[in-house]
Amino acid sequence: MKNESVYKRNIFGSFKSSAWLLAFSLLLLASGCVKVEYSKIEDPAYLRVFNNLNYIQTLGSKDNKVPFFCMFINPVVDASGMPVSAEIVGDFLDQRDAYAPPYPSHIGSSISVNNPEYPGKENVLVGPILNGFDLSSWAQVPSGKVRIMFAYRPKNTVPFFQLENELKKDILIDTTINLTSKEVYTLHLLQKDFVSKRTGILLRQEIFQKLPLSDSLTYVNFYNMSSKGYWEADRSLKADNFLLASFQGGMKDDMNVFLSLYENQSNLLQKGPAIAGYNGKYLANVKLNTSTGVVNPYVSFPIWASQATNGITTNMWQRFDFFTPGMDITNNPFYQGSTENGGNWVSVNCMQNGNARVQFNDNAAMLPNLLVNIHSGIHNPATFATVNSIEVVNGRIYLTTIQRKYAPPVY
Amino acid sequence: MKKLTYLFAVGLSLLFFASCKHDDLSMAKPNENVRPAADFVKNNYEMRLFYAALQKVGYVDQLNGKGPFTVLAPTDEAFNNLGIYTAADFDKMNADSLKKVIGYHVLPRRLRVADIPSNGIDVRYATLEGTALYASAASLNPNGGALDELYFSGVEATRKDVPMANGTLHVLNQVMKPNFSKTIQQWLAQHKEYSVFVSGLKKFGLWEQLAVQGPFTIFAPDNKAMEDLGITELSLSAMDASKYLGDLLFGVYILYDRHFFTSDGQVFAGINSNGSYNYYPKNTTYYMTFGAGKMYPSFKLAYSLVLRTGPTSNDPPVAVSGDITAKNDNLCSNGLVHHLAGGLVRPEEAIKR
Repeated sequence: MKNESVYKRNIFGSFKSSAWLLAFSLLLLASGCVKVEYSKIEDPAYLRVFNNLNYIQTLGSKDNKVPFFCMFINPVVDASGMPVSAEIVGDFLDQRDAYAPPYPSHIGSSISVNNPEYPGKENVLVGPILNGFDLSSWAQVPSGKVRIMFAYRPKNTVPFFQLENELKKDILIDTTINLTSKEVYTLHLLQKDFVSKRTGILLRQEIFQKLPLSDSLTYVNFYNMSSKGYWEADRSLKADNFLLASFQGGMKDDMNVFLSLYENQSNLLQKGPAIAGYNGKYLANVKLNTSTGVVNPYVSFPIWASQATNGITTNMWQRFDFFTPGMDITNNPFYQGSTENGGNWVSVNCMQNGNARVQFNDNAAMLPNLLVNIHSGIHNPATFATVNSIEVVNGRIYLTTIQRKYAPPVY
Repeated sequence: MKKLTYLFAVGLSLLFFASCKHDDLSMAKPNENVRPAADFVKNNYEMRLFYAALQKVGYVDQLNGKGPFTVLAPTDEAFNNLGIYTAADFDKMNADSLKKVIGYHVLPRRLRVADIPSNGIDVRYATLEGTALYASAASLNPNGGALDELYFSGVEATRKDVPMANGTLHVLNQVMKPNFSKTIQQWLAQHKEYSVFVSGLKKFGLWEQLAVQGPFTIFAPDNKAMEDLGITELSLSAMDASKYLGDLLFGVYILYDRHFFTSDGQVFAGINSNGSYNYYPKNTTYYMTFGAGKMYPSFKLAYSLVLRTGPTSNDPPVAVSGDITAKNDNLCSNGLVHHLAGGLVRPEEAIKR
């Protein structure tokens, strides 16, 4: 009898302590829990933003305001007009890079906060794959009528809303744009007049994802979004950067574009042999336009134009010559390396990764190759056709490349 | 049994919480012998005059206090360049102005080189005096190379980041020359060595603008330089102003809408390989090249002006360099004044045709 009661008490006692233990472990478990809410934008439009207001740090421009911005979509402003929060914030928006790549990969691996485009490095919801085109460089934003604002900010690493109040009141642009659900847009921040320094935005509704484009042709269209009066202006007023070569002085408002394809981008000594049929071939006309968001027609060239190719990869590169109407490759009066041509002739070489120059007798600015060479499937590299926009802004030239989703590499 | 389990539970939970603490760290004891700012300056015989100035204006106790401070300490040689050789020389100066200038050499914060943005130009930092100075750092060149040059209001920091108990210290090889609320006009009027230049500016209607908002950079030729060109007070008063191009004869020494320290040329030569600036002097067809940097043969900061009749290198130049470093970089409220050792345009070259 006595033994039984001891036994009972033990059972009861150990049950009680195990209950405590259990409760305690549950508490520990519960304290480790977080609730995750995934953000979602209803009826999004897809937007990519470029800051085309460029600058270069020189002695003469040391006092100029640096065009370094914070972008707001649907901002909340206080009584003094200062933004206090916003639905979408694109901070540290720096001048754009010469190359806007098809995937935000190389931007994502950077260690600086300065963003060459929006979304770029921002960790936000991005676009889906539309008609085979990967829109991961386009951010989802609310559709409909949205208010968009660009505020000057100091060039440092302090997030906009943590800046001192007086640094947050310098607004460059405050306007509304109309975005349709599920459409693809690029938004450009531009200087529209070189003399009055008037700035503005240009919203372009892209159509590449709706076109029946072949995957053995590379497509490109051209824009001239320079400010009015840039090419006429005196050289002393323009950024001094020898790497811009013939583009440094700008180009005239109406230009014809000629395409040349060359066989071998590994040879940097000279241009080398051109591909038959593609030596100064007329391609398109481009006119100055900073007011309407019309998409200029895409023109194309075959990616297997070279006889030397095996149909998997090609080493060819492209050169675009911009001539004022009446001039072309055959009656070009300037010598090959001439960089100061009064805006009558400018040229750009698209080769390698955009840092390569032809060493002798050349006046071209540098851009990356339009064709993407990358490891895909068992082929390393395989060459892919792309859809491109080449944009001239004042003394600079920019390339935006869009690529279809491709097969992952097999190692 | 029950007690044991209970103990176990309590013990386990204790372990859980104990794991969040890291108390047992062993650390080296900080060096307590590092001196506070004023004592540090006192014990450096390269900075005896600066210490004398600190004593004179009564900053010693404050600088030995809590801080943090950044002391920009000019060497004795820097003071010698201004004609100050002994502590007694400070007694001849206006005590209030001296206090302001010395206060401009101390920042009420710790500012290491690493705190200044890379390639930051004219970054403003408040000083103990109240006005903000200009800091420019050449940190990177476009080819990716590292540079290590730092300038405060046009003066080079020759030794940087010297640690002190209550802050940091940078050694300057010149004294900064702030004039606070004084305008360029007031500054020029007070310096007799530029009196002919001043008379000329007055005669050709260029004087009044120097009292208002700039910025301007003035390359002020002294009376000797003017005389070499054949311009004296006497010849000026005999001159008929309507027969000469005033914007060329005297306006050529005024650079409008820019404020350039001589150090700017050196900084930009490092960060974008171009330390010069070309411009047409206002209302003239002449073409000027301003270049600055550490110049041959002394490798001290100086500037040069090259004036040509037109923008190409075929146009004949008139070259002048202002190489007296100690007299450059006079910072006024609306710009800078640099000393110019030789004039540029002779009266006969500026006759209206």
